Amino acid sequence: MHLTFSHRETWLHRVNPTLKLAVSVLLFVAALFVHNPNVMALLAAASLLPLLATGHPPLRVLLYASPFLLVFISSASGMIMFGTGATLWFELGLIRITEESFYRGLHLGLRSLQVAAVGLAFALTTRPVALFYSLMQQLRMPSKYAYSFLAALNMVPLLADEFFTLRQALQIRGAGPGRKGIYGRLRMYALPLLAQSIRRAQRTAAAMEARRFRSGSGKRTYYYVYGWSRIDALYAVSIAALWLLAWLLGTHYPLLAATDVR
Amino acid sequence: MSTAMPNADRPKGLTLADILVTLVVAVVFGIIYRIWNPMYDILKPLGLHAEQLSYGMWFMAGTFAFLLIRKPGAALLAETAAAALEAFMGGSWGASTLVYGVLQGLGAEIIFAAFLYRKAGPIVTVLASLGSAFVSIFIDAHYSYIDKMTAWNYTLFVSMRLLGSVVIAGLFAWALAKALERTGVLSLIRPASAKDYEALG
Repeated sequence: MHLTFSHRETWLHRVNPTLKLAVSVLLFVAALFVHNPNVMALLAAASLLPLLATGHPPLRVLLYASPFLLVFISSASGMIMFGTGATLWFELGLIRITEESFYRGLHLGLRSLQVAAVGLAFALTTRPVALFYSLMQQLRMPSKYAYSFLAALNMVPLLADEFFTLRQALQIRGAGPGRKGIYGRLRMYALPLLAQSIRRAQRTAAAMEARRFRSGSGKRTYYYVYGWSRIDALYAVSIAALWLLAWLLGTHYPLLAATDVR
Repeated sequence: MSTAMPNADRPKGLTLADILVTLVVAVVFGIIYRIWNPMYDILKPLGLHAEQLSYGMWFMAGTFAFLLIRKPGAALLAETAAAALEAFMGGSWGASTLVYGVLQGLGAEIIFAAFLYRKAGPIVTVLASLGSAFVSIFIDAHYSYIDKMTAWNYTLFVSMRLLGSVVIAGLFAWALAKALERTGVLSLIRPASAKDYEALG
């Protein structure tokens, strides 16, 4: 959640959050059916493009996107070195790089890049509050789930505070690192934090019910109202156009030798 | 851990308190999921699948939440919510996390349902963690062409992931829930005697 960082609101922020979520998930499913690395490369590029329209300064976007390089390498390398294939390029011990495995690995790296870019664009332009209000209004998500999730999110800073308090308390009592092993130390932190969280959740539920919070009893009104607008159409059409373009260019003007990595 | 039978006076579905507890736990795991994410990516390029041993961490929200709540839907809700939070915090697998989360939650949920939500011992928890793991391998087979890896590498991949799930999402989740039980905090969620639990073994 990058809510604490200031940024401009762009048209991507004004797209209906439910639509944005649905499109982001659909793009992942669609990517599963792309087996042509030429198309995948263009799709990855097309998915990186919206990052420029997130309203965050380019340097910060670059910082957020820096793990993409790692994602690309981590997705590609295993398949490149240990994938199956007929045309051998290089062999060293267990490592066996073939033409097929190389292109398949490249394809995987590009696919991960595409998925990561879509996810980052979504995260950078959608506030959780907006998403859950929209899910309640557009998809009729029961309000007890939506408000509970938002309440749980608000507990994160409290949890962080408790963690630091706990650490200081443990340090004062001489329970520093190196004692009791990893599992012991994990329990030392996890148990009190979880127990406190559960108690707090119980108190919150009691407080909400005491204020007559009920799911599905009569018509709810919403502080933030989300509906559909022309921006939603623009968003859907532009994403579809980018994908169509990538598909056509990748199929008809391939740059790589491989056209199907299966 | 207590009750084999659900309390008679406890509502069958998820109450507001159940949902809140589940989601708070899911948020804690969502943060862990997000932190886990770059660690996995750093180990992975070696190609020898040591990172798969840690994969079970991403199934833990589901099994752990069920051990606390013991009701239908808890595992699915927790796993989905934790995955959603990971995606929201800019996790490097983006929206795909959500798809994995929902399906992995279902994988665990089906196992708990098969035991009519009455069993919550270590064996059932391990089975549920394997449920999540199998679903994730199924999606990966489509996403990462893992079936196109050399035979030894593929076998290593699958066995490491299964082993990791058994240890982390199965045994560790169960041990942690049991330890939490001893603090007494779970009596807020489902008041019951310790005797039923001993019978489960």
